[in-house]
Amino acid sequence: MRLAIPVAAGALLLTGCGSDDDEGGGGSGGGGGETYKIAYQGPLSGQNVALGENMQNGVQLAINEANENDEYDFTIEYVPADDQGAEGQATSAAQSAIDDQSVMAVVGPAFSGPTHVSAPLYGQAGLAAVSSSATDPALTEAGFPTFLRAVPNDNAQGKAMADFLAEQDGVNSVMVIDDVTPYGEGLADVAMEELANAGLEAQRESVPADTVDYGGAARTVTTAGVDALIYAGYYEALAPFATRLSESGFDGIGISGDGSNDDELINLAGGAVEDWYLTCPCTEATAEDATADFAERYQAEFNKAPGTYSAESYDVTSMIIQTIAELDGDVNRQSVYEALAGVEYEGLTKTFSFTETGEFNNEAIFLYQVQDGVRGYVGAVEELVGG
Amino acid sequence: MSLSDIWDVLVLGLVLGSLYAVIAIGYTLVYGVLQLLNFAHSEVFMAGGFGGVIALTIVEPVADPSGFQSVFYVLLGMCAGALLGGVIAFGLEKAAYKPLRRRNAPRLVFLITAIGASFFLYNLAGKLFGRYPLAMPSMYENKTVFTVFGTTVSVTQLLIVSAAVVMLAGVDQVVNRTKLGSGIRAVAQDPEVAALMGVNIDKVVSRTFVLGGLLGGVAGFLFGTNLQVEYTMGFLPGITAFAAAVLGGIGNVRGAVLGGLLLGVVEAFTVEIWSDAWRYVGAFAVLVLVLMFRPTGLLGERVGRTA
Repeated sequence: MRLAIPVAAGALLLTGCGSDDDEGGGGSGGGGGETYKIAYQGPLSGQNVALGENMQNGVQLAINEANENDEYDFTIEYVPADDQGAEGQATSAAQSAIDDQSVMAVVGPAFSGPTHVSAPLYGQAGLAAVSSSATDPALTEAGFPTFLRAVPNDNAQGKAMADFLAEQDGVNSVMVIDDVTPYGEGLADVAMEELANAGLEAQRESVPADTVDYGGAARTVTTAGVDALIYAGYYEALAPFATRLSESGFDGIGISGDGSNDDELINLAGGAVEDWYLTCPCTEATAEDATADFAERYQAEFNKAPGTYSAESYDVTSMIIQTIAELDGDVNRQSVYEALAGVEYEGLTKTFSFTETGEFNNEAIFLYQVQDGVRGYVGAVEELVGG
Repeated sequence: MSLSDIWDVLVLGLVLGSLYAVIAIGYTLVYGVLQLLNFAHSEVFMAGGFGGVIALTIVEPVADPSGFQSVFYVLLGMCAGALLGGVIAFGLEKAAYKPLRRRNAPRLVFLITAIGASFFLYNLAGKLFGRYPLAMPSMYENKTVFTVFGTTVSVTQLLIVSAAVVMLAGVDQVVNRTKLGSGIRAVAQDPEVAALMGVNIDKVVSRTFVLGGLLGGVAGFLFGTNLQVEYTMGFLPGITAFAAAVLGGIGNVRGAVLGGLLLGVVEAFTVEIWSDAWRYVGAFAVLVLVLMFRPTGLLGERVGRTA
């Protein structure tokens, strides 16, 4: 008891300071009218930071453009919440966004593992979390109150991989390797199921993402003599793995998911990932007509081409901004979430709308292939395998 | 498992094991002399990887290098790795441990300082070199050099094992044959008597750190050629090599070699028989089992007595 009073007093002081800061930040936001904040939770440091920065840039571009747009009588401020893509950092990242009372919605969390940790917290705070990239199917089944997924889940991606492989000549047996992360295991589970449905022989292995030597894993693949390999994990681990695979003479089809769909994969692995296929719920912003203009603005702003999920994150952020505008001043966390849950927003990449569980109403998966050291866009899987 | 499978896996295990052995020497030397668990050694190793990458990025290896050029690149990478590893180890001793030794700080303080230094160094590397993994510039075509009992040995594998053998033999000679070696052994056995006999303890300690740092740095470079280089790369190999040092008998140079090779081979066979996800389960089960029956490790402890 003796401690309780000073602790309570301290806590009061701290929250007092916190809200002061918030008002200060809000006031200095400038522009016209109110200032609202939109947070982005994803890896802004740590491994796989490239994926996080692609999305952050998309979010930031949408916010910058909204602030320059005279149509809106409010200002949007960007709040980064770095979770390093790791479950261990997810609580503090989410909390930093929740504690800032001016944050009206969150883009993210980016990765599935941290989403499992953060989504319940956002639910408690009544703060909408719209992920443009967390694809673990279990996320929308878990009943998180304010989680919305703006991307087809891994059920769609796993099915696309299986369908694509089933269409290829000479592919009878497939090995599925996950990286022992929630993302990798979820994707691998679905892939196994869909491969069986497609009538292919499938076997499963696990190779943790922090393995110090991929020689053993490469050996497992080559001695199994499979025709194709599905790697469910991120580019950082796939790069050395693919190098070992190519050295050990693996000549089957290699295919991986959106976690590997980044140019960093080619920078790290060089020729070893030549001919590898990559599936992604994301479109190629520079290849599609609808996003070509976006790609130019992105290039001008950040001096590089948009990457995986840049355009999708831009869309999600623009959707949130437009939702705030339509609320016409009645903006709080609750009203923003409710408006988003019932939204039908025509983005650059696709139309965004959600089911009752927060699942995305769209299942298109796109295929990329590394050729001549460049990650080339092949097109929508549905069209490639003939629907 | 057929005989050729066993050879395949053995080669994989020995390659990984030689890397562990070279890193483990750094732990063992410092422990032998100071009874200090230098956890920051994993960051010395990481620095070696960056040293190699930086040097090679500066010289920009040509595509399709000739044999002579390849040898030059590899030696350059090794020297740069060793240099940066040695410099970091030297600085670490001067900045973090020497002030503590001056004040006769308790053991625990050294341990916490080591952990703190480790965090400091890897976060500093993250800041300086970025959080992206870096690929080692390609220095040679990694083709098969020879086949032994049906098992192919690649250039990288041969490079790692032969570099490790040379370094390990070299350290063994330094510790047993040179003046620095007798200093190291004398300080390890009894620092006070050694000081009375005119051994400059500070110098010996400092040089021990540098020796371990040189080896750790080269190991970091070799590791980078096998995988990739990033600021977090020190942690797992560092912890495993530390375990290897304990397995062989911490403080014992030959023990570190034995422990490193053994752990590498056990890991490789665990991966082959079960799967990659069981890698450390198998390796550390062996570690616990050995220590249950031989608490001082396979070859006993102390540089001073048995090295």
